[in-house]
Amino acid sequence: MNAESGGTQLLLLLLLARKGEVPTMSEAIMSSQMETAPFDPRFPNQNQTKYCYQSYVDFHRCQKLKGEEYEPCQYFKKVFRSVCPNAWVEKWDEQLENGSFPSKI
Amino acid sequence: MTSSHGFHPYHLVDMSPWPLTGSISAMMLTTGLIKWFHQYNMNLLILSIFAILLTMYQWWRDITREGTFQGLHTSVVIKGLRWGMILFIASEVLFFFSFFWAFFHSSLAPTIEIGMNWPPYGIQPFNPFQIPLLNTTILLSSGATVTWAHHAIMEANHTQAIQSLGLTILLGFYFTLLQAFEYIEAPFTIADSVFGSTFFVATGFHGLHVIIGTSFLLICFLRMFFCHFSSNHHVGFEAAAWYWHFVDVVWLFLYVFIYWWGG
Amino acid sequence: MATWTYLGFQDSASPLMEQLIFFHDHIMVVLIMIITFVGYMMASILTNSFINRYMLEHQTIELIWTALPAVILVFIALPSLRLLYLLDEVNNPSVTLKTVGHQWYWSYEYSDFLDAEFDSYMTPTNELESSGFRLLDVDNRTVLPMNTQIRVVITAADVIHSWTVPALGVKADAIPGRLNQSSFMMSRPGLFYGQCSEICGANHSFMPIVVESVNTNSFLNWISSYSD
Repeated sequence: MNAESGGTQLLLLLLLARKGEVPTMSEAIMSSQMETAPFDPRFPNQNQTKYCYQSYVDFHRCQKLKGEEYEPCQYFKKVFRSVCPNAWVEKWDEQLENGSFPSKI
Repeated sequence: MTSSHGFHPYHLVDMSPWPLTGSISAMMLTTGLIKWFHQYNMNLLILSIFAILLTMYQWWRDITREGTFQGLHTSVVIKGLRWGMILFIASEVLFFFSFFWAFFHSSLAPTIEIGMNWPPYGIQPFNPFQIPLLNTTILLSSGATVTWAHHAIMEANHTQAIQSLGLTILLGFYFTLLQAFEYIEAPFTIADSVFGSTFFVATGFHGLHVIIGTSFLLICFLRMFFCHFSSNHHVGFEAAAWYWHFVDVVWLFLYVFIYWWGG
Repeated sequence: MATWTYLGFQDSASPLMEQLIFFHDHIMVVLIMIITFVGYMMASILTNSFINRYMLEHQTIELIWTALPAVILVFIALPSLRLLYLLDEVNNPSVTLKTVGHQWYWSYEYSDFLDAEFDSYMTPTNELESSGFRLLDVDNRTVLPMNTQIRVVITAADVIHSWTVPALGVKADAIPGRLNQSSFMMSRPGLFYGQCSEICGANHSFMPIVVESVNTNSFLNWISSYSD
């Protein structure tokens, strides 16, 4: 999801909060789809490096296969945006552009 | 010759300059390497290599004189020499073990930097059923010929011993030649990811050991030519044969895991 | 936070830290029992004059002093393992905080909903307010909601660092090229201080961590102020 829609959802929440109704985090999640990458049993350990990388690869493979408009692909993007350091994503985007990314998309 | 003739079976060695020249040239070698890296000048390095080779030649020449002509290598001394060679080869096994450890560490769970793939995306490994398979048969055959040479020596058959040992050396040389061609043809370098690094370090050190083993066998060949070996006293040849078998076994592991499974 | 001459644990601010304190106390009970027993035995052996010239072995006593320590170790190992696996659990996190160690500061990224990304440097002593803590306060605090499961993904950009907040019971190495996951839930509001715990160079002591625990609303307010 992009920052724009997240922002409007958040505004609603803030309005709700101003009226004195304090939302709990779970309510906030319910109403604004504010959720983070879930636990993934493929990566049950402390080391989450491959959760991040695999989601990045999956997103681009999904887009290549289904087209950029295909909504379910956004799930992978959400996951890698939550888990990957921004610097890593920038580096990989660059590598994808100049064809030096280490995985086949 | 005072110390060599006591009433005991041990070989108390005479004064020798070679440990000193050996240490000095080893120190020169490391210093020469640093000088080469920093000042682009190989003079000291070349001088030290020459000094080391000279030390090696003279030291082993003296050992040959002591063992073959002075009869100082009694059965007890031979036992010690054998144990020394066994422990040396054991240490070499551990040396190669560490390279295999690095290889399996990198290949069994490939990191994201190489796309979680082995071989990494973009690397074209060698076809294991071309030159590497030929090299396997060459080394296995050389293992057979060196055993043939051993039996010929034990049966005091000088002609066959010369022929089979010569054949072993030729096979060793042929192996080195093929590896050299393979290296020249390689589509990846030692700098191409951890694949290139583990591949060239492991096979490169094996190649170096083949060259050392071939030299060892060549010295035995020359000594055989000069009739230094008898049917019941040929420790130098035995050590060379053990070493050759060790190099052979290392190759089998390299072939199976790095060329075949890992390629 | 830890204050002057205080040698114990800080007050816990998360359920896992409470468990860690319980475990510590449990171990101390065992330890003191052993120390007392061994100390008593040593003292009594040193201060008597009994002699037995014929005793070379005694199977029963050897059996006891082999089996009994093993049993005691089991009583330490089982709670230890339980705690180890509890600490590893991530429990459906609601927020993911990415923290990256640098020479010599921490940078934080929140990318779940709105993008927030900032560096957190130590406040130098000469710029410190009178209420500030020397070598502990930072210019940008890590604000997080309390009573919420939080996942921290920890890495580094140059050398190994370690992200540590004692009151929350969190410590994980920040290693370049690797993402380490840890999780916690803050049970009360407050400021929780920590320091880099892996020697990372000249200014290793000057890259502190401040986690600000606030309620959900304040957190949402804060994070929306960070988005463009």
